[in-house]
Amino acid sequence: MSVFELTDISFAYIEQPAVRKVSFSVEEGTFVGIVGPNGSGKSTLLKIMDRLIAPDEGTLSLNGRPLASYKRRDIAREIALVPQTFSLDFQFTAREVIEMGRYARKGSGNHRWSVQELLDKLEIAALADRPFPELSGGEKQMVVLAQALAQEPRVLLLDEPAAHLDVSYQLRLFDWLRKLNEEGLTIVCVLHDLNLALLYFESMLMLREGKLFSSGDTETVLSPESIESVYGVRAYLHRHAGRTFLTFSPRARAKRKERVHLVCGGGSGAALMRELTDMGFLVSAGVVNAMDTDEVTGRELGLPIAAEAPFTPITNEAFDENMELITKADVVILTEVPIGTGNFRNINALERASAMGKNVWVIKGVAGRDFTNDAVRALDALGGIRYFGGTREIIKELSEHE
Amino acid sequence: MSRNRLALLALAVALFFIFAVLLSLALGPANLSPAKVAKYLFSGQQPGDAGSTIFWQIRMPRVLLALLVGAALALAGTILQGLFLNPLTDPYVTGVSSGAALGATISFFFNMPAVPWLSLFAVIGGVATLFFVYSLARKRGVLNIYQLLLGGVTISYLFLALVSVLMIKSGRDMHAIFYWLLGSFSGRGWTEVKICAVIIPFLAVPFFFVDEMNILLQGEERALELGVNVELVKVVLFFVSAFVTAVAVSVSGIIGFIGLVVPHISRLITGPDHRKVLLMSVFIGAAVMALSDLIARVAFAPSEIPVGVITIFFGAPFFIYLLKRRT
Repeated sequence: MSVFELTDISFAYIEQPAVRKVSFSVEEGTFVGIVGPNGSGKSTLLKIMDRLIAPDEGTLSLNGRPLASYKRRDIAREIALVPQTFSLDFQFTAREVIEMGRYARKGSGNHRWSVQELLDKLEIAALADRPFPELSGGEKQMVVLAQALAQEPRVLLLDEPAAHLDVSYQLRLFDWLRKLNEEGLTIVCVLHDLNLALLYFESMLMLREGKLFSSGDTETVLSPESIESVYGVRAYLHRHAGRTFLTFSPRARAKRKERVHLVCGGGSGAALMRELTDMGFLVSAGVVNAMDTDEVTGRELGLPIAAEAPFTPITNEAFDENMELITKADVVILTEVPIGTGNFRNINALERASAMGKNVWVIKGVAGRDFTNDAVRALDALGGIRYFGGTREIIKELSEHE
Repeated sequence: MSRNRLALLALAVALFFIFAVLLSLALGPANLSPAKVAKYLFSGQQPGDAGSTIFWQIRMPRVLLALLVGAALALAGTILQGLFLNPLTDPYVTGVSSGAALGATISFFFNMPAVPWLSLFAVIGGVATLFFVYSLARKRGVLNIYQLLLGGVTISYLFLALVSVLMIKSGRDMHAIFYWLLGSFSGRGWTEVKICAVIIPFLAVPFFFVDEMNILLQGEERALELGVNVELVKVVLFFVSAFVTAVAVSVSGIIGFIGLVVPHISRLITGPDHRKVLLMSVFIGAAVMALSDLIARVAFAPSEIPVGVITIFFGAPFFIYLLKRRT
């Protein structure tokens, strides 16, 4: 059963429309996130859902009844909101602040949680008798959450609850929200941190310029393509250590024509791949073993990669594929990859690149990474190789290399 | 604050209040012994007894009026400081005091400077201003607190300018008007007490809204979120505080600093909880006003100084002390 039903909701502040024809419903017991860039109407939407502002158009019903027909006190019994900012400069204790949340429940004897239980539940009992203005930002946020829960609502709305919290409070807060959700509380939360969203939310709404851009399960809504078109940044989805997470890059500062090929492996090329891609270079890499960090990174970035099967020496097929990429490249870079018998053919590839007249750049200290004792000699025999102190130097050189 | 300490402080304030009342009744141009005060109090007015007549016809109404006005101004100040979330607010920011002052000045101007005309004109001026400022600040069903403040301050300036014009025009009454504006209980009797008594039920109204007032300290939006009918509460509290101020000013003139300082003293004693602050303000406001009037009567006896001057002399340094203490 849906708790909230919004149909074609629109609202404009004096001039700028903030929410435009938004429709969605919130099912009982769900944990929904709302994301979107600054000014996309998230907070306004939340305020409309708590009837702090009345929509200009559209209908909004709570439990199948128009929200406008509820009395203020009855709304507060159904919906509690944890606001983005909260100010109280008067010397009330944390306990007194939480008790203010009981206002709408005054007169009803049976409470789901006593104030003391709330304090214990949220692990803030130690703060109970301290003056609220003297608490830290994170402590205040937990007290305000307790105040909202003291309303014993069916729906909890939160507006950027994690914005001012350190990582420990963030996780504590969201773990608590998850627990409350499992106990049956319906939660709608506006947030900026897309990785927190991926970690905690079942389903999402994404807003753009006041309109609903997409909705559905979290991984679908937070696809790199959606993020790019809504936020205007590049997003990459990674899976690592059992988690899915996003990283972001600005849109390429300028499209460049140069192609850079990385001879890498074992994670020695991942940082350069990302940095050069962000700078707008056309990056390729090889030969690397599949599932190797560099191979995974390249795949996530969508780069052409010459790959070999895991733990397998480079075969002719992979070598040729790599040579094709090298042929197209303007610069070929040997990263700090260890060289053993399995990937020695990559040195042969560099020899060919040099013979083709490509710029071959090598990060210093090959001897320390050479387990064949032949790589140093082979490189020394080549003319025109440039040596660099590290990836920073290479990036500097390339960025000046207009 | 612990319960015991609060109880002790409440007891201290109660004793202070009783002490202030008895002292104000006892002292004056004719000093009365405690035994005399007790005798007059319990036996009622005895016809033919000059002492009893002075006590019941002059001193008692004057003390009662001071208590009422002090309570009203302190209560209004407490309410408005909370409503405006501004510690510098006093009951006069709503502009009703200037409206009352204008009304009083008009009654002087038309040579009707006697009871009940003076008070009546002042009440009418104050209440009319109340409605005017209210209508300025209300838009689309929402009472805008900041417009209320700005409107009130603007009206104050405008009306005080009009008062000045009338003062200059009226010439010979200038002294009387000026004296009235400073605030005084001199020569006030039972008629003024009766006029002022209409505020008693209004003084009780805010006590039904203490939870709402506490919650409103978190801002209007948060109060809505917690289920408070904010518009209703604002309107009720504004009308009550403005009305009791208008009536208080109409019988006593513009007595400064009580409505500003007493709420702060009360909060220092009880903390910010309106369940305690309101009651504390009423009693401290009443007692401080009675004592101030006592000083006004006896300090330079036989001549009197306006009580408004006394409250400023004691209130201003105390307020400066509070400001320094806070930072």
